[in-house]
Amino acid sequence: MAGFIDLYTEGDTFLHRMDPRVKIASVLLLSALGLMLSNLYSLLILMGFIFLLLFLTRASLGKTSLALKALLRVMMLIVALWPIFDPSGTPVIASLGPVTITEPAIWRGVTSAVRVGCLATVWYILMLTTSQRDMVRALVKLGLRFDFGLALSISLRFLPTFVLTIESIKDAQRARGLELDRGGILKRARNYVAVLVPTIVSALRTAETLSLALQSRAYGARADRTYLRDLSMRRSDAVAIAAVVTILVVPAVMKYMLGYEL
Amino acid sequence: MIPRPVTDRGERIISTRDIKFTYENGPEALRGINLDIRSGEYVALVGGNGSGKTTLAKHMNGLLRPSSGSVEVMGKPTHDRTVAELSKVVGYAFQNPDHQLFCSTVDDELAFGPRNLGSSPEDVARRVEYAIDTMDLRSIRGEPPLSLSLGDRRKVSIASVIAMDPKVLILDEPTMGLDAAQSRDLMGTVRKLNDDGHTIILITHEMKLVAEHVDRVIVMANGRTMLDADAKGAFTDLTILGLSKLVPPPVSKLAHRLAERGVSKDILSPEELVFELMRLRGGP
Repeated sequence: MAGFIDLYTEGDTFLHRMDPRVKIASVLLLSALGLMLSNLYSLLILMGFIFLLLFLTRASLGKTSLALKALLRVMMLIVALWPIFDPSGTPVIASLGPVTITEPAIWRGVTSAVRVGCLATVWYILMLTTSQRDMVRALVKLGLRFDFGLALSISLRFLPTFVLTIESIKDAQRARGLELDRGGILKRARNYVAVLVPTIVSALRTAETLSLALQSRAYGARADRTYLRDLSMRRSDAVAIAAVVTILVVPAVMKYMLGYEL
Repeated sequence: MIPRPVTDRGERIISTRDIKFTYENGPEALRGINLDIRSGEYVALVGGNGSGKTTLAKHMNGLLRPSSGSVEVMGKPTHDRTVAELSKVVGYAFQNPDHQLFCSTVDDELAFGPRNLGSSPEDVARRVEYAIDTMDLRSIRGEPPLSLSLGDRRKVSIASVIAMDPKVLILDEPTMGLDAAQSRDLMGTVRKLNDDGHTIILITHEMKLVAEHVDRVIVMANGRTMLDADAKGAFTDLTILGLSKLVPPPVSKLAHRLAERGVSKDILSPEELVFELMRLRGGP
């Protein structure tokens, strides 16, 4: 259940060790590159690069296959649907009533699918190699208020707990003869009141206890708090960000200043 | 409802046949459990955290289904019966009352279960009255259950199950978070329910409760039953209790320490110890 919410996988590759701020910046830059490129072949090269990164995370295929399968399904859907809604261009391959399938539309569909594949995979790599704790720490370091960062990490931390609470509440009500999936829509909605109210009450009680626990450990006593593990950029991080910037800038110059069709 | 004839005591009401259960992505929680719970019994399921007590209990009303083996309730297998059907026979009061309570008055809360079972309005009213009387809730019946004290919330959550008129009542750690007086009060009520003919299954790790109230003790560890005996038998076997990470009640430990002076090992309450010591001294 927790794996569904948190994709992070322990590891010790250079991608795991990289400063999370650098990782977030790199992912944003690579996403921009993916949106900028419109040529199928350049996108395929980008995709190759991104999959090389995925390979370098050393995540087992068993771990990634679920996400990759889902991604493949979305990509196939794009390839299949694009030509149906985009009738422009020639030559026309097939025509059935109002639907016209053209060859350029098929290629545009494939291109978009590859672009979506690039974007999804690069964000997936970020999730796969960055723990929620590091992610929040990076956001705070980038200027997010610490309270918000803490709220964010607490919510993420409590999601799995919350799922368990909801399961327990459902069981408790089923033991009182409640059949959640019986009856029409209205009846079912009413049934869920018996789950919803205890869920909200439990959440509020947890929040109250938690805030007392935080305060009793001097939360908010000083504005300039210190951190046990501070983030610091290393040389390898500087190299990484420089490389990613180059990867973005070179094609951008080629495309917009030198007129290459990338 | 209401008091059951003592004559049907002894009929098999819940039977488990070699049930095994493994949680998804988890270890094997039950490794072959064979039990018969008979009508009218007062049974304690004891064991350390993670020993499988709650997992086993959740098989008794169908909340969990065994990976292998079978559960029978009232002589019929449960695999094709829903939790709602089974809840007519087996009531289950959860550990955390806040997972059960949601209505705006205690009365409504108690009526929820019987209504789910499709009882007639008169029947619902009768069951609510019985539950109110049994758990002594008359003075707070109009209050919103969620704003009551923990002790009262627990009583309401147990009453909400009693109102369904189950033959068997499973109580999961009913005294957790209660003070000594509330705890004694609650256990007295449970005793009364048992005297009225209800079969009680008490999940707990408070050995004092077990020693003072329960007739039969099932000790669990690592998904197996280590011991199934009457309360006296259970506390004479300290090795098994130790293996199951259970600590016998203080009075029982004292009796063991005094065993070489002739004190019987199966003492369960301070009163018994006093009588035993007086007996050894040769009268009061």
